[in-house]
Amino acid sequence: MLVASGLVKRYGGVTALDGVGIALEAGEVHALVGENGAGKSTLVKIISGVVRPGGGTIELDGRPVRFADARQAARQGVAIVSQELMIYDDLTVLENLFPYGAPRRGGLVSARETRRLAQPVLDELGLDLDPRVKAGELPLADRQLLEICRALLQDPRVLILDEPTSALPRAAADRLAGVTRRLAGRGLAVLYISHFLEEVMRVATRVTVLRDGRVVLPGAPVADVGLDSLVTAMLGQPAREAIPPAAAPPRPGGAAVSLTGVTVPGRLREVSVRAAAGEIVGLAGLQGSGHLAVLDAVCGRARPSAGTVRLPDGRSPRSARQAVTSGVAFITGDRKGRGLMLDKPLWENVTSVSWLGQGRGGPMPRRSRLVERSRGHLDRLRVRGEVRAKASDLSGGNQQKVVLAKWLDAAPAVLALDDPTRGVDVGARTELHDIVRGLAADGKVVLIASTDLAELVELCHRVLVFQRGRVVDELAGDRLTEAELSLAMNAGFAAT
Amino acid sequence: MLGRMSAPQPSAASAAASDRDGPPAPRRARLGRPVPDEAGVVGVLVLLVLGVGLLQPDFLQTGNLLTTAHNSVYVGLMACGMVFALAMREVDLSVGGVYAMGVVVGALLIRDGMSTWLAVLVVLALSAFVGAVNGAVTTYLRLPSFIVTLATSMLLRGVGLALAEGKQITDLPQDDAFFRVLGGEEFLGAPNAVWVFGAAVVALTVLFTRTRFGARVRAIGSNPEAAEFGGLPVTRTRIAALALSGLMAGLAAVLALAFFIAGDPTIGQGYELTAIAAAIIGGTPLKGGSGSVIGAAAGTLILGVVTAALVFFEVPINWTTFATGGVILVAVGAAPLVRRVRDLRATRDPRAVRDPRPVDGDGRSPGRKP
Repeated sequence: MLVASGLVKRYGGVTALDGVGIALEAGEVHALVGENGAGKSTLVKIISGVVRPGGGTIELDGRPVRFADARQAARQGVAIVSQELMIYDDLTVLENLFPYGAPRRGGLVSARETRRLAQPVLDELGLDLDPRVKAGELPLADRQLLEICRALLQDPRVLILDEPTSALPRAAADRLAGVTRRLAGRGLAVLYISHFLEEVMRVATRVTVLRDGRVVLPGAPVADVGLDSLVTAMLGQPAREAIPPAAAPPRPGGAAVSLTGVTVPGRLREVSVRAAAGEIVGLAGLQGSGHLAVLDAVCGRARPSAGTVRLPDGRSPRSARQAVTSGVAFITGDRKGRGLMLDKPLWENVTSVSWLGQGRGGPMPRRSRLVERSRGHLDRLRVRGEVRAKASDLSGGNQQKVVLAKWLDAAPAVLALDDPTRGVDVGARTELHDIVRGLAADGKVVLIASTDLAELVELCHRVLVFQRGRVVDELAGDRLTEAELSLAMNAGFAAT
Repeated sequence: MLGRMSAPQPSAASAAASDRDGPPAPRRARLGRPVPDEAGVVGVLVLLVLGVGLLQPDFLQTGNLLTTAHNSVYVGLMACGMVFALAMREVDLSVGGVYAMGVVVGALLIRDGMSTWLAVLVVLALSAFVGAVNGAVTTYLRLPSFIVTLATSMLLRGVGLALAEGKQITDLPQDDAFFRVLGGEEFLGAPNAVWVFGAAVVALTVLFTRTRFGARVRAIGSNPEAAEFGGLPVTRTRIAALALSGLMAGLAAVLALAFFIAGDPTIGQGYELTAIAAAIIGGTPLKGGSGSVIGAAAGTLILGVVTAALVFFEVPINWTTFATGGVILVAVGAAPLVRRVRDLRATRDPRAVRDPRPVDGDGRSPGRKP
């Protein structure tokens, strides 16, 4: 249906795509995988008309096409759901569905007509929403589905899903997988980009692998490709065995983070948690179950109405600022929102906590000293990027390392990680995990929440499972598997 | 704060996709050091002066240039203070009001017998205090500074009018050293007020670019949420930045009082908007995160030169405002244009000849809308 061949794209001196081709057929879910920087996003941008190629052709049903912009691509039947949500928070669900103009009657937007068109699509995706609600009030998963809904209303023949599940909890991701397969069954060609290889294996019928701007595996049937060979194709070398968590880490006597009978109105109910130095403690739960409130309480962003939070220095965090001065690091996967200053050079990002937050270095330090200190951290974490490069110029994995670097520069005693490898490729994810393990071994207290259950299983010594603001289970040792975790998170909800 | 007033924004812009293939080539890679952003505005200022001088040679007389500079000092100080507010995503609309109030209060205190230099200190302290109140109200009531300072601007102007009973305050001791030193006297051929302005530009540039306070201001403007999570003293910094903006307006009031030797409550109408325009011309974006004090000063001088040039070209005085508006529009419009040309040139690279649109390389391609 859509055949792209010989696509070339250069950014400055960097070759992003070097003669890449891909053929999408009607009725298939075609996965596109590759590490960060392999050229996935560039290929997707070219096919969806956002970027024009430096060479090569695109054919739609045998006719050569050229897209001047995304809107033209959409008109010809290529719809994209981008990795970064493009939802207008201040508009209602209905208004979000028709960005190019809602159906009108007599010059005015017809609410009834709009709803008549939208409802079947909403139903198909299993989205039970009040169409008058503002999109910003919806949970992330619903916003993601809303965006897919919008793409479907364009009546596309080619649908591109760019990292559709990177921000979704497992249950929503599974629902999305079902929807994706159903859409393909209706004759759509779906191009599916994801970091989650197991998900790719489940959802896709064929897979194309990119590495360094070239196709290394062209449209192979997923059934013929094993997970191992997929990873090998992506990385150019066999996957490393996951390191099992260190056997005897916690030192109960050392410094610890403890929550005693902590209640945060609407979020936590009399929760007691203790994490010792050297321990990696996972926090798991469905959306709104309270596991993230623990991180907020430790970071001084949620004030308990009852109970106490104690940090290793004996203080209770009363504000974000105080938590930071007490040595709490908040390492978030939300790089753009809470993590980084994307328009600033790396060294300003790296020194932003220790210098600007904790005040180390004084009111007027030598700039060269700050730059040197940053370079040290960036080198140690093997960040690919110059200290003076803007953070926005880095790939997701390297940006994430910069987030880590800025907190390591603050010499923390506690690491609070929130989805720390969101949207990061396999290689960088492994590296980040190794770093976190190393920090725990150095005697830091590590608390981690993640939508990636495999991450919790690989990294944590034990995982606390939350439901409705309480700890309902604790998994460790043999019980700490993805299946058990998923079960524990959902237990009790299935019945209702 | 102004940023939030724009039309609905998508919850995420495409510019910062977290998985970006193909990083762009480092900007301006051929030059050893990056050209400072101010260079453009200062260059425009020099060209403008020379251009006017070419047609009206008298314009280039030192005396005329210094008078032009002296006239720009008041808005210039406010523009330099405004940089701190804008870089923090705030805006200070009260500077015109602070200026008028400062002039009136200073004149009244001096008329009623207070020592002139003590009155100066009172005006400066009061202005900084008013700015701090702006900051405190903005922060603690979680209101946009746009609204808060719009209100205080009227309050202050009203206070000035009421205290002065709507009239100019004259009968001031003209022979006092204060009026001589800051009003008329010169040092190395230039009015002392111009030296004060120059010193303020240098001091604020250092403060903005080299100190922790300046870095905090820029960090908060760049990403307020990350700043909050990073433990920055956001509240304190915001109050201090708006206090600084007020202080600069107060300093402008002191210089104006010394020069005019009168307290006019209607002085400085619309100066706040001119100051904002000057800061923007000077390369301080409304979206926060960066700015340039030198640029703001140059921006003010550009506007001042245009006003002065109009006199030389014998344009009727009533057309001055019209012309100033035009200059602001052209200057603000030209800045992004210049930047785009520069980016284009930076990305033009012999290895990229086959690429028809190298601008896309910075990922800021505008075409991506849902």
